[in-house]
Amino acid sequence: MQPVQSHDIGTRKPAMQLQRLWEKYSVGIAFVILIVIAAVINENFFTSGNLINILRQVSIIGIIALGQTIVILLGGFDLSVGASLALSGAMGITVMNQTGSITLGVLTTILCAMAIGAINGSMVTKGKIAPFIATLGMMASARSIGLYYSDGGSQTGKVEGFAELANGEILGISYPVYLFFLITVLIYLLMKKTRFGRYVYAIGSNEKASLLSAIPVNRIKMLAYTLCGMLVGAAAVIESSRLNSISSSSSGISYELDAIAAVVIGGTRLSGGKGSIWGTLFGVLILGVLNNMINLMNVSPYLQGLVKGCIIIIAVLLQKKE
Amino acid sequence: MNRIRLEMKGIHKAFSGVHALKGVDFTLQEGEIHALLGENGAGKSTLMNILGGVFQADAGDILLGGAKVQIMSPQDSKSLGISFIHQELNLIPDLTVYENLFLGSEIITRYRTVDTKRMIEEAERIIDMVGVQLDPKALVGDLDSSLKQVIEIGKALLQESNVIIMDEPTTSLTDKEIDSIFQVIRTLRDKGVSIIFISHKLKEVIQFCDRYTVLRDGELSSTGCIRDTDEERLAQAMVGKDLSHQQVYRRRTLGQVVLEVKGLSSGHVCREVAFALRKGEVLGITGLSGAGHSEMVECLIGYRKKEAGMIRVHGKEAYIRHPKQALASGVGLVPKNRKENAIIKDLSILENFSLPSLGKFLRAGMIRNQLERQRYLAHKSQINIKANDPSLPITSLSGGNQQKVILAKWLEADADIIVLDNPTQGVDVGAKNEIYQLIMKLAGEGKSFIVLSSEIPEILKLCDRVIVMYQGEMTACLEREEATEGRIMMYATGAKS
Repeated sequence: MQPVQSHDIGTRKPAMQLQRLWEKYSVGIAFVILIVIAAVINENFFTSGNLINILRQVSIIGIIALGQTIVILLGGFDLSVGASLALSGAMGITVMNQTGSITLGVLTTILCAMAIGAINGSMVTKGKIAPFIATLGMMASARSIGLYYSDGGSQTGKVEGFAELANGEILGISYPVYLFFLITVLIYLLMKKTRFGRYVYAIGSNEKASLLSAIPVNRIKMLAYTLCGMLVGAAAVIESSRLNSISSSSSGISYELDAIAAVVIGGTRLSGGKGSIWGTLFGVLILGVLNNMINLMNVSPYLQGLVKGCIIIIAVLLQKKE
Repeated sequence: MNRIRLEMKGIHKAFSGVHALKGVDFTLQEGEIHALLGENGAGKSTLMNILGGVFQADAGDILLGGAKVQIMSPQDSKSLGISFIHQELNLIPDLTVYENLFLGSEIITRYRTVDTKRMIEEAERIIDMVGVQLDPKALVGDLDSSLKQVIEIGKALLQESNVIIMDEPTTSLTDKEIDSIFQVIRTLRDKGVSIIFISHKLKEVIQFCDRYTVLRDGELSSTGCIRDTDEERLAQAMVGKDLSHQQVYRRRTLGQVVLEVKGLSSGHVCREVAFALRKGEVLGITGLSGAGHSEMVECLIGYRKKEAGMIRVHGKEAYIRHPKQALASGVGLVPKNRKENAIIKDLSILENFSLPSLGKFLRAGMIRNQLERQRYLAHKSQINIKANDPSLPITSLSGGNQQKVILAKWLEADADIIVLDNPTQGVDVGAKNEIYQLIMKLAGEGKSFIVLSSEIPEILKLCDRVIVMYQGEMTACLEREEATEGRIMMYATGAKS
């Protein structure tokens, strides 16, 4: 073997290292800054009651955003999450009311949402339809089926104890918060430590090279969309249990946009291949804290959208640094 | 005697401590094609970027027509009549030829509208000047790659440039296209334009250029007239050592047939291809671009759909419809166009390496990073990958080292039949040689290779046998002894079959 002079060999430069640090922790830093500002502005912010309240409020969008992160990292998209939540929630409550079994109701909700995810997956893989279009179609269809099924109204739970699922507490913190953190850790491990996670990043970064590296690209895509559906199902259970009912017209409206916003604020690249679960967690928390601040400061709730919009744009501007 | 158009004297440039140029002199005459050569990192791009105004030199003078000039920005450079045509062309495929030519400097009528008529006339004048057949109203997206280069040259002429820098213009062109582009360049030279031609392809340089300058490690290595030198000496000047007696090919005893392909067909990209590969053999497949050899191996490994054909691996029929099934039979592809097809730029060196073999590193479903790293390090020392930290992005490596990582990936995945499509594309001379040696070594250890290349010398250097393809069909299968450049060319052009 001939020795060759050692140019452009991978080495760390200090400037690069700093940039990598910033890329890695910018969302966390932004979150801490936001917390400090919130605590300074309003004395009621940093009370345990308020903080727990924020966590409870973000848990539904949070769980959906985790699923959305996986699909986006893969280079995909899922616009159907909100509509899927409403439809599968309604199905679950129906089955629960008919059978009187909460377990069956919950299972139905999750399976229904998984089925919707799987259909999304097959449209993308077998049908080779762009994910944006496929899930846009699914969003309209699922919403419409839900409206037709409930005749535009709501499905209300008639089984005692169902509302306990989302409203019960341990140590003053409600169940959905625990579930959200549990799922976050599990999805983090899935993406960081397993073959599935590695493949998702690879496919999102370069699909052709992944296929040529003997990765079962279509199977991974199916799995990712189905998993996203499963998380939507979990969120649907919380949503329907929280008020013991689910509305075919107003439940889950614009959840897809909130979830995508959280993912984007969390620093995940919209075209896939780059991003993290921690980023999404902080993205979700940032959105939650902002909404909370607006409430505490008695700002018109109509301005929430404006604040959210600005934050998304600022987040993306900051990430442009790369 | 030609007059000197441009002189760069004692140019120094350092980037955060790395001395990229250490007092380089460069002289360009009027009306010449001047080859600028050097390995990646030798300083060619830095020198040209200084001329193009992208960087400023730390020390040294630039003289244009004998007068000292300051080039502080790309605009300065342009206004001094210097045009830089980058490797990635700046053309918009959905616009026409004349629209592209005048992009950013449209001719405006007095009503503030675009003067289409005058722009077309001007475009025709420029096209005439370079001497090609081209409709100014044709869409750029429909044109050959060589004509796209011509449009870039046309843009330079519109700005009345008399120094045109071309950065590896021929990398993605076929031989025919290369000929036509050089015809254009020669026409311009005869009109007094000076062309700086950056290239890795020494054959072209010998064939088409007038003078050369070779840089090595930021210093001038050699300069002179092309007619006083040859490929061997230029290569030597680039790497700084004698390559001539580095015999690559070694005779080996070949084993049993490991791969047998029969009647492989897919549409009109390949028809009825049949061959056999033996253990430890290096089988070359060549042809002009578009001959279907790349597509044929894509069928072989299950990336592209095949319509007919039987594949036997180790005597057993293999049904391969997905690269995963190919790997299960022990077949892996190192594809051409590394950047698009082989490397996953957001993943690290380590993650790129372990992609097809992750299954081996799992414990309870989790990847064992320690083991993964150990396996990588084993290959790293064995095939001499030069990288410090495997957790850095793969894009931090040079082309040659990236290619070695891709090769290591298949070795780790236990592929014993490795298909290499254009394995030394975008790899500099020294690393090229290293890859050749590596293929030979691995073949000696019992791996079997199929090497696809359009560069016949590369095939001749490595292969035990050569298959030649023409328009999707095999036209010849030559033993090493009977394969010569001339014979292969005859089969590759369909002159003989």
